[in-house]
Amino acid sequence: MSTTTIALLGQPNSGKSTLFNALTGLHQHVGNWPGKTVEKKEGSFAYKGSTYDVADLPGSYSMSANSDEEVITRDFIASGNADVVCILADSSQLERSLFMLADYAGIDAPCFLVLNMEDVAKEQGKTIDVASLEKKLGIPVMLFSATDTKAYDKFYTTLERALKAKSRIDVSALEEEYEKLEGYNEIKEQIHDNVIPGYTPMWLTVKYLENDKVVSAKLKSELSEDKVATIESLKGDNNGAIATGECKFKWIDELVEGTVKGKKKTIKLGKLDRIYTHRFWGKPAVVLTVVLGLLASFIPALPIMAVASVFDILKNFAGEALNSAGCSPFLIGLLCDVVIQSMSYVTKMLGFVFGVTLVFGLLEEVGVMARISYVFDNTMGKLGLQGKSVMPFLVSFGCTMGGAAGARVIDNWGQKILTIALAWAVPCGAAWATIPMLSTVFFGPAAPVVIIAVLIVMILHMWITAKIFGAKLINKEDRCGMIMELPPYHKPKWGALFRYVFGRTKDTFFRVVKVVLLVCLIFWLLSYGSGATDTSILYKVGTAIEPVTKFFGLPWQLFIAFIAASVGKEGAIGVITALYTGGSYGEGFAQAMSGAARAANLGDILLANVSRPEALAFIFAITFNMPCVVALAATYQEIHSVKWTARIALYYTLVSLALACAAYHIGLIIW
Amino acid sequence: MKRLLELLNDGNSRTLEMLADELGTTTDDVIRQMEYLECIGAIRKVVKPFEKKNPCASCSGCESGSAACKGCIPQNAAVNMGQMWEVL
Ligand SMILES: Nc1nc2c(ncn2[C@@H]2O[C@H](COP(=O)(O)OP(=O)(O)O)[C@@H](O)[C@H]2O)c(=O)[nH]1
Repeated sequence: MSTTTIALLGQPNSGKSTLFNALTGLHQHVGNWPGKTVEKKEGSFAYKGSTYDVADLPGSYSMSANSDEEVITRDFIASGNADVVCILADSSQLERSLFMLADYAGIDAPCFLVLNMEDVAKEQGKTIDVASLEKKLGIPVMLFSATDTKAYDKFYTTLERALKAKSRIDVSALEEEYEKLEGYNEIKEQIHDNVIPGYTPMWLTVKYLENDKVVSAKLKSELSEDKVATIESLKGDNNGAIATGECKFKWIDELVEGTVKGKKKTIKLGKLDRIYTHRFWGKPAVVLTVVLGLLASFIPALPIMAVASVFDILKNFAGEALNSAGCSPFLIGLLCDVVIQSMSYVTKMLGFVFGVTLVFGLLEEVGVMARISYVFDNTMGKLGLQGKSVMPFLVSFGCTMGGAAGARVIDNWGQKILTIALAWAVPCGAAWATIPMLSTVFFGPAAPVVIIAVLIVMILHMWITAKIFGAKLINKEDRCGMIMELPPYHKPKWGALFRYVFGRTKDTFFRVVKVVLLVCLIFWLLSYGSGATDTSILYKVGTAIEPVTKFFGLPWQLFIAFIAASVGKEGAIGVITALYTGGSYGEGFAQAMSGAARAANLGDILLANVSRPEALAFIFAITFNMPCVVALAATYQEIHSVKWTARIALYYTLVSLALACAAYHIGLIIW
Repeated sequence: MKRLLELLNDGNSRTLEMLADELGTTTDDVIRQMEYLECIGAIRKVVKPFEKKNPCASCSGCESGSAACKGCIPQNAAVNMGQMWEVL
């Protein structure tokens, strides 16, 4: 009884395993190829009294020496181990999947072609003219569905046909293409038949042009020295693989043309994608999307923020109750201004985190985030970031903690830190509530100039900060890809999304509450004085170092307001009011933090006490100071690093003072 | 394919559809050419950090032993972000 060996060859997902399992059933065993860690799958079946051994050849995409698998596969075939090679291709995408056949063409072993996934092609409305394909190729070709158990008779007949004919691929059309390549004919002349058994000179020449290491090395050892010198000199540039690849694709296209009929799938961009990928309108569309997203994120945030105002009421109520019960002011302050106040902050922030995570998580799942990322990829690339970093930046115009929470979509740690660090430079909503007001009071009609100056400084700040921090945080390799397959738009999976968002909000709460409590406590202790202004540490330090801070353009009142603004920018104005009207800082601080209304005559108070250069210095100082304690906590929550959070905070404090100093001295020149 | 590689090398990011458009061909054709370029090592699929086998290896950011680190990106984040390639 004779044994025939069939080798199965096909790209991943061509259905090779399905065919192998169906043919061999339980008669299979798995081992290793000698000397390699590559899995060897063999099996056998009997048909019409003969035994057939089946070798499931490893391998991926082609017959090149890109991997061990591919070398094992082609050596196995070329050494004549197989009586016939069964090459699989996917009928539903022949242009792509016939590449294995094109790369095989020229190996001297009998073969036949199985066009698998017949059912899928049919579903797509494609018909394939097998007879014409057979004629063009000179080998048996069959349409097949490996998953259809009834189709196997056809497989056996085709197999027998191929075995009988010992059919080999007609490579003449393919070689015509190769002959157009520079150096092909000349190199081929130097390679005689059977230099390396099992491979035709055509195949070897092509692999040589492709810089195939194994083939090149073998040719060098088999050919005479002068021949090696000749082919070396003929090879030319190293882009051979591109040129030969083009030949193979061209040959495939000619095979498929007229053979496959049916709708050619051309994916056209949808309406929305045409806007997003538009050269001009893409960016405005993305900015609009993010801004709308930001607004939308207030909707789920509002109920949570309402809870925060309950804390504010509770704070007043508890304060009064404890006061009338004769509690010590220190304890009242500790409970009301630190604990309850912190809870109010954190709850407000959670509202934001919840809203932003939900809305932007949704945008991501739906597939919009990928578009945002794509549109801003080039711009953000200049900062060493990915396109999606634009989202946290835009969100930070509203609220820096929202920006920090939004930075979670960035999948690279270094880029995430840099994104958040840069987002800090974007003036948040609280800054936007303060800057125009102060500018108008001091500069009247020139206020817009100040605001424009702030925006220009913001951009420079981000650029310089990107250079400074980028050097440490960004590796060149971190640059994300340039080519993008836009994901299809999806319906969101609400359950998973909400589970994710709630989990995230909960995590944030526990991490952030500690930080906020701690920082609030420190500030409160520093500013605590028993009624009179002059007992608090902050006052003492502030007045003591006033000669220094004056150089930065900040008298002690403004300097303390600047420090208070690192807890929350909303508070800065309140603190100034309190200090210039002779109130205690502690009081002013507490009131300001809970959003007390500003004095009606604030403009007069400020003009009477603060000079224009000082005002300018103050505007820059608080705008580019660290955003607020909650943003600090949110940053820590996102980047998991005390070191980097502290570094960023320190950097921003110093830079804002430097900017204040510059603004002050420029102001002195002007006025 | 030379034209494709030239386009990829000019430093602008593009979608498959735009590439197909600029080359006057179909997205399927672009995909198969990209597949080939990937195999010969001219381009590479971008593997997101959390898709790597050991996501923490590339991440210097976690304080050691911190249980919260999940490849420095929260689980379930960055879904449906599309596939990116980079030119080598
Ligand atoms: N519809 C259909 N699916 C198939 C056919 N052949 C294989 N498959 C499926 O395609 C997938 C990949 O097949 P597999 O044999 O694992 O491919 P391999 O990677 O080449 O080994 C599996 O889910 C198979 O069930 C077929 O003829 N028609």
